[in-house]
Amino acid sequence: MRKRLGFIFWLAVAYLVVLALAAVFADVLPIKDPAETFPGTSKQGPSLTHWFGNDGVGRDVFSRVIYGAQVSLVISTVGTVLALVIGGLLGMVSGYFSSRVDRWLTATLNASLVIPPLILFLALVLFLDGEAKRRIFILVFTFVLLSIAPIARVVRAATLSWAGQDFVLAARTLGARDGRVLFREILPNVAPSFVSYSLIIMAGLIVVEGSVAFLGLSVPPPTPTWGDMINKGRTNLDVAAHISLMPAIVMFVTVLALNFVGDKLQQYFEPRESVL
Amino acid sequence: MYERHSKGGTTGMKQAVRDQLGRIIAAALLATIAWAWFWRPPFSWTFGVLVAIGTIGAGIADGRYALRRIVGVIPVLVGVSFVVFALMASLPGDPAINILGPAATADQIAIVRTELGLDEPFFNRYGNWLGGVLTGDLGTSIVLREDVADGISRSMTPTLQIMAYSVVIALGFAIPLGIWAGYRQGTKTDGTINNVMLGFLATPNFVLAVMLVLFLSIGGLSVAGNEIGFRVLPAARYVPLGEDVVLHFKHMLLPSLALAMGQAAVFMRLLRSDMIATLRLPFIDLARSKGLPTRRILWRHALRPSSFTLLTVVGLTVGLLIGGALIVEFIFTIPGVGAYIFLGVTQRDFIAVQGGVLVISTLYIVVLTMSDFLYLALDPRLRGREVGARA
Repeated sequence: MRKRLGFIFWLAVAYLVVLALAAVFADVLPIKDPAETFPGTSKQGPSLTHWFGNDGVGRDVFSRVIYGAQVSLVISTVGTVLALVIGGLLGMVSGYFSSRVDRWLTATLNASLVIPPLILFLALVLFLDGEAKRRIFILVFTFVLLSIAPIARVVRAATLSWAGQDFVLAARTLGARDGRVLFREILPNVAPSFVSYSLIIMAGLIVVEGSVAFLGLSVPPPTPTWGDMINKGRTNLDVAAHISLMPAIVMFVTVLALNFVGDKLQQYFEPRESVL
Repeated sequence: MYERHSKGGTTGMKQAVRDQLGRIIAAALLATIAWAWFWRPPFSWTFGVLVAIGTIGAGIADGRYALRRIVGVIPVLVGVSFVVFALMASLPGDPAINILGPAATADQIAIVRTELGLDEPFFNRYGNWLGGVLTGDLGTSIVLREDVADGISRSMTPTLQIMAYSVVIALGFAIPLGIWAGYRQGTKTDGTINNVMLGFLATPNFVLAVMLVLFLSIGGLSVAGNEIGFRVLPAARYVPLGEDVVLHFKHMLLPSLALAMGQAAVFMRLLRSDMIATLRLPFIDLARSKGLPTRRILWRHALRPSSFTLLTVVGLTVGLLIGGALIVEFIFTIPGVGAYIFLGVTQRDFIAVQGGVLVISTLYIVVLTMSDFLYLALDPRLRGREVGARA
């Protein structure tokens, strides 16, 4: 049977690429200034000049959604990459050197899972003092902290199963050092599973960032964030639902696309696991 | 595995208890819940009884394993308390100034500092605080002007209600859908159920909450003068169960739904994959060849052996639910623990936050351990083996 990723997969990929490009090049694209208030357009619905309508004070919702994507994407990407490097390394070491190292690492990682994410985050938010840069730093720091354990567990499980294979034994018999075995023999085999998993982690981070922003604790205004837009729009939900609805839809589609691409890639690389 | 138990001088009576352990534990749990429902004891009592039942059950099933797990939990609890305390102690700025505001005089600051014991060395403070925690004293919140333990136990009720209702709703969706999708694996039905649930999985619960409010409580979108939506459910406020039962459930439905659907998706996917594995086993073929109706095979024969992972994961997701409950409480203005901690954070009241985080983390750890124990009590195949969500 030939493996196929399907049309929807490529559609999701295309959406993500377009969104990322739009966010990156937001400053040079011909879209409106997200901070500019257009007089007389307060709470106006979607139109040709303002594609997603205007918010409570007359700002263009479409350009705010695009600029909001910057925050979501930057924080979740940086968080995922850092978590991937640290968690992946820990997971591989833990799965490869079994026994004592493994037991200690697993115990520590499990212990780090016991504080509920959002609560941990709230506790950390007490550190913040409104300064945008420091807030981004703490956001990323927390996200990395939160995603190391799940990534390490997945990578550990994959490493364990590969480390027992004959070609690894062969490499070791030939006198390859642990470092070489880990990076040249095991890493290429483990990589697909954690790359696809990282997309799902990234989706999770976008949701967490959204939740935090919704509570008003993410990057402070005037920088637009999706969560904050959805929250602020709630006051006008009965007269101008689009103010909340538009960022909500974009966020939903983004998270869905990431999950879908991650899922499909996982099935593509590991057809056996996809049955489960 | 069974041989090992019976060899150890086990009497017939003990063996009988062990064989019926799943039923006994289930009955005891139901009895406790019924007792708590009608008698309304303080939350800590109910919780204590539930923990005791779980521990005793695990002890009967596999004493050594249970003992090892309980001993293993203690350092984790101490570690969590230390991390929480250290985190709050290392907050930038003087907590006394945070509490009093920037206009405070030096004298006032000195008084508050002595009151909080801030001038003592770090480990003394930690020791004092931990000693207080062990006797149920979480300190007094200066900003909110009340005992933190009182505040938390008061706000615990709505939070636990939302969590309980949403687990029930999530299972109510997940079990039938999971069974059906697993049975029709690979068909259009399976695909549709999977995709819809993937959609719910991808909906952050605050987005779902806002959508539910929009479409079920304030009339939805108006297109060309027509409302697309309903005005059937209230969108905010908390009504205690004791005040008005019907109104209570009416007000809790939207928050619980918002919290439940994401969980339902997780549960459904798990149950589906376990169902698929179970349906391949020979005993299902046997049941089918005996001519049993499909519905009976699915619900009576296949569900139970497929549901153990699900059970553990229900325990595991409690942590996620607490985070979600916080958002939902914020949206629907429900005075729960999440709202309490959130208030503490916005008021920069570290004593309240410290207490809240500690209580919730402890609860989470205990629930996790208990769900491992439950697993052990319910599935005789696992006794004498290393089990649990972590294994």
